[in-house]
Amino acid sequence: MRFITAFAFDIKFQWRHGFYFAYAFVCACYWILLNYIPEAYLHKSVILLTFSDPSALGLILAGGILLLERDQGIHDPLFVTPMRTRDYLFAKVASLSCLSLIAAWVIHLTSIGIPKSPVLFSVGVVLTSSLMTLLSISVVVRYHTINGFIMMSQVYALPLALPLLGFFDIWNTKLYLLPTEGTLLLLESAISDLTTVQIGYSLFILLIWNYGIYVWASYSYKKYVLGKIGEGRDGL
Amino acid sequence: MIDVQNLNFTYPGRLEPTIHGMSFNIQKGEVFGFLGPSGAGKSTTQKILIGILKGYQGSVKVMDKEIKDIGPNYERIGVAFEFPNFYSKFSVLENLKFFGSLYAGRTENPKTLLEQVGLDQATNMKVSQLSKGMKMRLNFCRALLNNPDILFLDEPTSGLDPVNAQRMKELILEKRKEGKTVLITTHNMQAAEELCDRVAFIVDGQIKLIDSPRELKLHKGKQRIVVEYRNKGELMSAAFPQQGIGENHTFLNLIKEYSIETIHSQEATLEQIFIEVTGRRLI
Repeated sequence: MRFITAFAFDIKFQWRHGFYFAYAFVCACYWILLNYIPEAYLHKSVILLTFSDPSALGLILAGGILLLERDQGIHDPLFVTPMRTRDYLFAKVASLSCLSLIAAWVIHLTSIGIPKSPVLFSVGVVLTSSLMTLLSISVVVRYHTINGFIMMSQVYALPLALPLLGFFDIWNTKLYLLPTEGTLLLLESAISDLTTVQIGYSLFILLIWNYGIYVWASYSYKKYVLGKIGEGRDGL
Repeated sequence: MIDVQNLNFTYPGRLEPTIHGMSFNIQKGEVFGFLGPSGAGKSTTQKILIGILKGYQGSVKVMDKEIKDIGPNYERIGVAFEFPNFYSKFSVLENLKFFGSLYAGRTENPKTLLEQVGLDQATNMKVSQLSKGMKMRLNFCRALLNNPDILFLDEPTSGLDPVNAQRMKELILEKRKEGKTVLITTHNMQAAEELCDRVAFIVDGQIKLIDSPRELKLHKGKQRIVVEYRNKGELMSAAFPQQGIGENHTFLNLIKEYSIETIHSQEATLEQIFIEVTGRRLI
């Protein structure tokens, strides 16, 4: 129940801070850009865009939200209520995954139409968005400035972009231990069929990574945010 | 309601304990004050009591439950930190509704709470538009949302004008009448004198003294009466032993024959007692 409350409030928070307007603008830019991409490159371009933006949206936005909340000093009063870290993290993941999913579908529908496998495509976007959101929270709690956070989040996220080398045939070694190898497969389900093994592998690697990063995010949040509650952050 | 025995706490990475050997208990319906200078260990103690800091030694029981075993029951406690932080882009009412929705049990009507602190006109104002005093009052409302059995208040009158500070004190005393336990952490000796049934002086992570402000003021004060009076237009004063004052003829003659301007007993102030007991000032 608290998760639902926190999730609904996170959506309002993101709306109130203009995240949805900003993202609508970004999507409009992508739509215009995709209209100028030649047909031969369109599919790969759409997958690349979906991979690098809606899926990875949580990486920047989750950190931004947490910095905003910290600036307003909201974590102190929030965690002397029955709200628990699990509810807080799940609410962030769910709210940002919704935004990611909407953006990914808008980009697809306005460029190449309905994905061939809508469910797998959506699962790919959601699991990648949740992974990036949790990674972002794990990193941002360690930094106090937006610059420090942006720089370090890119350092942490860079290895996750390596499967793109294979996607563009630059380096033909599959990096099966990286979750984003699974992401690319699931996003490709929008334009081609996947084997059962590919689907199983993609879901498995993304879920395992999500769990691992969730544990890290939970530990980091408790140590760096909850451990400092009551130290007098003045959000006046 | 709260029972602390031989509490010791050392922050990770530090050699010296912040709290050592602290023992006290707070009864149901009592207003208890933690008084001490910055860095004395008041906030650390409060953070242990509300379950934020774990890894302490000794026993800390809140509502008969050991905090380190099961954690605090946030459904039944209310906390107002010194800094009144809220979601700044949301209205007063939206903030209270959100915080209220986090409790599983029945919560107070936010509008009723706002009326009690005189914020009924600010219901739809964004928090970013409020003054510090208004935010402090809103902070108090938030701590009351779940109708808690124990209230933890950090500097509850800080930033309030005299009228609202008085109103806040009245509300705290109303909570005591309702049987709520209130733990106040403050530098403000006057507020502590007016509100607390007992106060604890904390210095260097230890409790130096626990007593009621009234008893302390009486016993630590000078047992005499000082009278200021006019004699042929000149302001003069005289001091008399407090004991047997009704039979002190000099005193009785003086108040009969001269124009009296003031008569004061010489009880000590809490601040004087604090300095005498701890050797520190409340800064």
